[in-house]
Amino acid sequence: MNQYARMIVVLLIFSVLSGVVLAFSYEIAIPKIQEQAQKDLEASIKNVLPGTTRYEQVEKEGMTFYIGLDDQGNKKGIAFKATGQGFGGPIEMMVGYDPKEGKLTGLQILSMAETPGLGAKIQEPAFTDQFKGKSVTDPFVPKEDVKVITGATISPAGVANGIKIALDKVTKIYPVGGDY
Amino acid sequence: MKELLFIIAGSVLVNNFVLSRFLGECPFLGVSRKLETAISMGVATTFVLTMTSVATYFIQFYILEPFGLSRFLQIVSFILVIAALVQLVEMVILKTSPALYKALGIYLPLITTNCAVLGLALLIAIKRYNFIQSVAFGLGAGIGFTLAMALMAGIREEMEFGDVPEALQGAAIVLITAGLLSMAFLGFSGLIPM
Amino acid sequence: MYQLVKDFLNGLWNENPTFRMIIGMCPTLAVTTAAMNGIAMGLAATFVLVFSSLLISLLRNFIPAKVRIPCYIIVIATFVTVVDLFMAGYFPAMYRILGLFIPLIVVNCIIMARAEAFASKVTPIRAIADALGMGIGFTWAITLIGAVRELMGSGTVFGYHVLGENATRWVIMLLPPGAFLTMGILLGIMNVITRKSVKNTQCH
Repeated sequence: MNQYARMIVVLLIFSVLSGVVLAFSYEIAIPKIQEQAQKDLEASIKNVLPGTTRYEQVEKEGMTFYIGLDDQGNKKGIAFKATGQGFGGPIEMMVGYDPKEGKLTGLQILSMAETPGLGAKIQEPAFTDQFKGKSVTDPFVPKEDVKVITGATISPAGVANGIKIALDKVTKIYPVGGDY
Repeated sequence: MKELLFIIAGSVLVNNFVLSRFLGECPFLGVSRKLETAISMGVATTFVLTMTSVATYFIQFYILEPFGLSRFLQIVSFILVIAALVQLVEMVILKTSPALYKALGIYLPLITTNCAVLGLALLIAIKRYNFIQSVAFGLGAGIGFTLAMALMAGIREEMEFGDVPEALQGAAIVLITAGLLSMAFLGFSGLIPM
Repeated sequence: MYQLVKDFLNGLWNENPTFRMIIGMCPTLAVTTAAMNGIAMGLAATFVLVFSSLLISLLRNFIPAKVRIPCYIIVIATFVTVVDLFMAGYFPAMYRILGLFIPLIVVNCIIMARAEAFASKVTPIRAIADALGMGIGFTWAITLIGAVRELMGSGTVFGYHVLGENATRWVIMLLPPGAFLTMGILLGIMNVITRKSVKNTQCH
């Protein structure tokens, strides 16, 4: 019995100490993790809405919009998240949209699981820059108005399709030429 | 139903746990010398994987998340539950079916440290599968693991008679063979919308 | 002192976990698409290995034999969670690349094997020497694999262009088959250097 009691006590001590260490590390690390997430979000918004220095978050019809503003408070456009179906899984992206002009202002891939060296090239500016200044009324068809990547057609199609689906919804909430 | 088939086929063929996700390499390289033992190991692991998917589903979505513990107690609780589960499975099999225990018994303790098991638990939490999806994912992972083990063991049995260069004998040629198998499985990628 | 140096050097070559014992294969194959990933993965595993070895060695007379495995699991899982949290907070880019394989350090055979076979039997200082040797041995090995795959797959090493901008890139080296092939061929080369082949993995 004594031997069993000792086993239980030792295991208990280990569990409690582990809990204390973990709770302590969590308290230290979590503000940093949240700060990082915030920084990443801000950087992606500034990237897809050139000239933006700060942003306002707006919730509308189940979607989250980030309205980019410059130092004088002028609106620079709207950023929103879109998801496309890639080759290796979903592709998450941040899209910049200027309702006044009816054009996209930028695109950044936030996360993806595409093939390294092939589909993963959708992250590179060589691919994403083609969406800068693209009209939202364009058909977004790969190989027609969207340039694809040699050896990978599904990943760019996933991006184009994801943007198109999101835009259908977004342009109803923020119509082209309208105020925002 | 279609979605469940996608999950199973996805984890067996497209993202095979061993050949494309790199989970469960140790038993794949270590216990694949004989077809019979490889299949036994595969069946035992499939059993544990399916049980793990059930257990970790409830822990993640009914204990860790409601109490906000997921971020820092997930790893500890998952691995302890897996270790306990493997012990439990071992005891139950020993009591109910000595024949089955004789076939699988020696492999069971090794499954705790198989990364496929903990990997499965973490993937279910990341993918936020519901209960049925989790079970299908666990089952598919197990079938995929067994398939890879059986293929490798079948090749290795033939390779015994082959003339392998001295430097590549043993683990090296097994790894190169795994590379070729993995290349064959690459053909399945894109088969299913993930 | 001599003993300590011997314990340390053991993991670097004679009992190198990757090329001699063939253990801890999952992260070795999975994250080595670039040399830098190898260093990060290696250092994360080394951190866990050193601290859990130290703790297990310090407590070796206190832990009852029958519950030693659960105790080791708790210790290792705790250190892994600490690494996981701090990496997510301070090195988010690398954390995203290594992903699942940071929590999976828990079931890395190297750590459990060293705890069971070495740290639980020797003094803390020897346990640390061994853990450092094993950790660095693991790190150089996976960095080498990462460098080879990065060189052939992207034409770079540590991000620097080595083969020139227009060199043909062998994308297959970055895909899963490339991991197995690189590891197999490097192992063959190591076998030639040491003139003995590893017959089977030391792990299950």
